Amino acid sequence: MDLKSQRVLVTGGSRGIGAAIARAFARQGAAVAVNYRENREAAEATVRSCRQFGGDALPVQADVTDEQEVRRMSEHIFAEWGALDVVINNAFRPYPFDPEGRKPFSRLEWKDYRDQLEGVLTGVYHVTQSVLPQMQAKKSGSIVNIVTDLIARPTVPYHEYTTAKSAVVGFTRNLAAEMGAYGIRINCVAPGLVYPTDSSRHTKESIREAIADQTPLRRIATPEDVTGPVLFLASDYSRFMTGQILYVDGGLVMS
Amino acid sequence: MEMWETAGYHPGLGETEVQWREQTFEQGGERRRVRVPVPDEKGLQRLVEVVRKNRQTDLASLSVSEVVHRIDQTVERLLDRNHPLRRRMEDWLPVVTGLAPDVIRTGLTASMKTFRKPQLLRWLAEDFGNPAMLDSFQPRVNGGFTRAISPHLLVHIWSGNVPGIPLWSLVSGLLVRSAQIGKVASAEPLMAGWFAQALEEVDPKLARCLAVVGWQGGDESRERLLFQEAEVVSAYGSNETLEAIQSRIPVTTRFLPHGHRFGLALVGKEALNPARVADVLRKAARDVAIYDQQGCYSPHCFYVEKGGVLSPRQFARMLAHELDIMQIRYPRRTLSPREIGEWNRWNQQAEWRALEGEEAEWIGGDGRFWSVAYEETGDASLLPTCLNRAVLVSAVNDLEEVAGRIAPFRAYLQTAGIAASSRRMFQLADRLAETGITRICALGHMTVPSSGWHHDGRPVLKDLVRLVDVEPSAEVAAEPHNPYSE
Repeated sequence: MDLKSQRVLVTGGSRGIGAAIARAFARQGAAVAVNYRENREAAEATVRSCRQFGGDALPVQADVTDEQEVRRMSEHIFAEWGALDVVINNAFRPYPFDPEGRKPFSRLEWKDYRDQLEGVLTGVYHVTQSVLPQMQAKKSGSIVNIVTDLIARPTVPYHEYTTAKSAVVGFTRNLAAEMGAYGIRINCVAPGLVYPTDSSRHTKESIREAIADQTPLRRIATPEDVTGPVLFLASDYSRFMTGQILYVDGGLVMS
Repeated sequence: MEMWETAGYHPGLGETEVQWREQTFEQGGERRRVRVPVPDEKGLQRLVEVVRKNRQTDLASLSVSEVVHRIDQTVERLLDRNHPLRRRMEDWLPVVTGLAPDVIRTGLTASMKTFRKPQLLRWLAEDFGNPAMLDSFQPRVNGGFTRAISPHLLVHIWSGNVPGIPLWSLVSGLLVRSAQIGKVASAEPLMAGWFAQALEEVDPKLARCLAVVGWQGGDESRERLLFQEAEVVSAYGSNETLEAIQSRIPVTTRFLPHGHRFGLALVGKEALNPARVADVLRKAARDVAIYDQQGCYSPHCFYVEKGGVLSPRQFARMLAHELDIMQIRYPRRTLSPREIGEWNRWNQQAEWRALEGEEAEWIGGDGRFWSVAYEETGDASLLPTCLNRAVLVSAVNDLEEVAGRIAPFRAYLQTAGIAASSRRMFQLADRLAETGITRICALGHMTVPSSGWHHDGRPVLKDLVRLVDVEPSAEVAAEPHNPYSE
């Protein structure tokens, strides 16, 4: 898969799935900008592990829900590398995946939904707005938005989180319809429960077992499992695909 | 920055009154150091006196239910994942033992759960019928009275890296209210000391009836001294180690050796259909992967019955896939050069057997952290396996044949996991019981013995005490001497 010297931005790239994606691109010879909000130390650790593969990598701070910060981050990357070829929208607002501690619908307030929509959709919007003009100018680019398989099968109804991620799917498809004219592709990758990550550490062993038991490939995902489909959608191997969702959940969702 | 942790627990003996042995543990690029207290002979003698004296003043007078309550409070702390000691366990044990963090976390919770109050009470009732006999003479059904007398000093020699083992020992010793001195295993020197610290938070006086230290295994003068003082010595290790220990124990001291043993599993044809097999396989793979077969209860062989919807060969292949999954969920620990040698030898033998004909198959090889050998001729030359997730799947026409097949391993058998119908399970239990198997459980439970199990077929607590009888004749003979006798 030729991703050599591609310039990639991974939002929320310091830990968990984002860090695994950043390393996977670096392994393919890509230059990776690792976005983080607060945890500079973790971002730098990811950058160091990316550089071990020989390519360029840089930590870039920005709260993706803040337009100014995103613009500053993009300008910084453009100043360093000229442009971006690939953007992975992976950042999301911290959410504890705790099936026992989750709020039932009756206890959810509109604010809970708004927080998630802002955390997820606003970030995707700002980042996409800031990188699209230069992708349009060079008539190429691939954007991959990380969503969740819960949008198709709410194994646990994390209402506000999954609703926000569903909005990202709508966002993706509309944008794909418009940006096809510029040769820019936008797709989604929808992982199942990924363990271990900071967010999933609240998910008890018994729940993970139960999901694994229902999964054709008999286990839940690791952060590394998510990287292959992301790389595929970022590369020319998927050059005639846009507006799609790839489920990475061991066959739990089939569609 | 390198992290340090201090092992052991040595009441009455100061920091400077022991020597410190340093051990380095490395796992996944992380390096940590542990210092283990090593008392000299004089120090050891002092520890003996201190724990014995403390027992006399603070432990011997507690009732068994008071002791149960304190152990319960201690494990409640250790079940709390936010307790500083529990956090240290979860942080350190993966590096020290090499076991996956999830194995450590779930294993700690599972073993702590067996030491909560209801489980302890059941265990005591199991071994003594009436646990009050630990406190005073209790009437016997057929006349007379019996009381269980605790050993004044119990010595433990631990080995291996399964963190639950020292807990079983220390809790048993506490239940019978004995003073205890334990020698840590170099493969896992921390758990026993942490348990003593947790106990100290609950009851410092009780904790000071325990000592946890280390010395070079086989150190004759230290061991002779200690065994001379002990009333009971309990030891884990290979038969050679145990024989060496035995040679240093006075004949008047009770010796409880726990040698290497292994487990096996039986899968009936009724479990081999597409609807049930997934659950059986998941549990089977779990029993193999947890503790990398280091436990005496871990399965080495799966006897799988022909005649089900799925064949034993298909079972072997599907088990291989489940073990592959286990590697992602619970990665195997890094093997030592000696273990790699044993691993290569076993696998080479399995590969050769597979090349000889259709009756054998080998699923393993480079880049795999597990190995499955399949055979259908009754060849047991691959048993026991080389450990570390190597299993033999052996096809049988009828599970009834298994008893005959395992007879040569009689002295080394322990747990049998069974997946079969209720009636057959009990029939098989009868047959297996005669072959040397001492524990029968469900698949998925092989590495988690239930509270009060008869470890290697012995009543664990009862083996520690001395039963004193007051015979009916004494009662009768005393009557005429009473002032009110007429």
